[in-house]
Amino acid sequence: MSKDMKELPGTPVSGKELKSDKIITFEWRPNAKYAWSAGIAYGRYLDELKEGRIIGRRCSRCKRIIVPPRMFCEQCFVATNEWVYCKDTGTVNTFSLSYLDADANRIKEPILVAVIDIDGASPGVGILHLLGNVDPKKIDVGMKVKAVWKPPEEREGAVTDILYWEPMED
Amino acid sequence: MSFDKIRDPRKIHHQIGDMECDYIYTAGVAGERFYIALRDEEKLLATRCENCDITFMPPRLYCDKCFAELANFMEVPSKGVIESYTITYFDRDGQALPEPEILAFVKIDKTDGGLIHRIGDIKPESLKIGTKVTAVFEAKKERKGALTDIKYFKPA
Repeated sequence: MSKDMKELPGTPVSGKELKSDKIITFEWRPNAKYAWSAGIAYGRYLDELKEGRIIGRRCSRCKRIIVPPRMFCEQCFVATNEWVYCKDTGTVNTFSLSYLDADANRIKEPILVAVIDIDGASPGVGILHLLGNVDPKKIDVGMKVKAVWKPPEEREGAVTDILYWEPMED
Repeated sequence: MSFDKIRDPRKIHHQIGDMECDYIYTAGVAGERFYIALRDEEKLLATRCENCDITFMPPRLYCDKCFAELANFMEVPSKGVIESYTITYFDRDGQALPEPEILAFVKIDKTDGGLIHRIGDIKPESLKIGTKVTAVFEAKKERKGALTDIKYFKPA
């Protein structure tokens, strides 16, 4: 605000007033539907998740196995050329205990977020997912984990077909 | 190189969603007075710039031309003349309407502006630019402080 300005012009309206009948407002939700195509690689990945499998792609040049699969290797800029099934086990690469939910509300029980390097994929290749069935204090980098799947009839071809990852018994 | 050919894009996994970009639009200071007069008194209000000889319908707080503040709201007749019209067979989402609707720009008498609104009680064949029309108001308890408090304009 300029120093010459003594007060803000305009008519202040509070959020409460906006939702009351006191002032005249027009509410609208635009009809903005979308269908986002997952593409060939990610589409197959989601379809395989429905079957309880994790699939990746191998790069023809650097031979990395990439999960989630992509049709191009982002390091070599060449097409990936082979489908590779991976295991539904992995290693905690990094993790976080979140005391905020997706809408930024404070929560008592933390959401356990982790990047899990998938067994069968190249080192450092992994997915962001949830940990469960574990004492938050005992989570550590390098911990071996196994996917806990939804029952087959409830799977819908989404990353949430894996409920969470739990520690593997030694 | 091997690419998996997809011949039917519908076979690819799709994520279906709805963007919830809701909004609340306020009518503003002039709009507020306009809609309240419409709702409570069946009146159309306009503002006038004496300097430029323009009467604003719907009312504006400031003159478009000289930027003067327009404080005087005056009642104008709730009737006017069809200046342009169209007949529509589809709604906003492209769905066929049960009955075609006539939409027109009605220049409001004694003003330099007008309203886009429905035209009723008339056969599309007898529509003409220049037809004099008058507002038909919604029953008082149905009015919400919106332009739809006028149901439609009918031939005067």
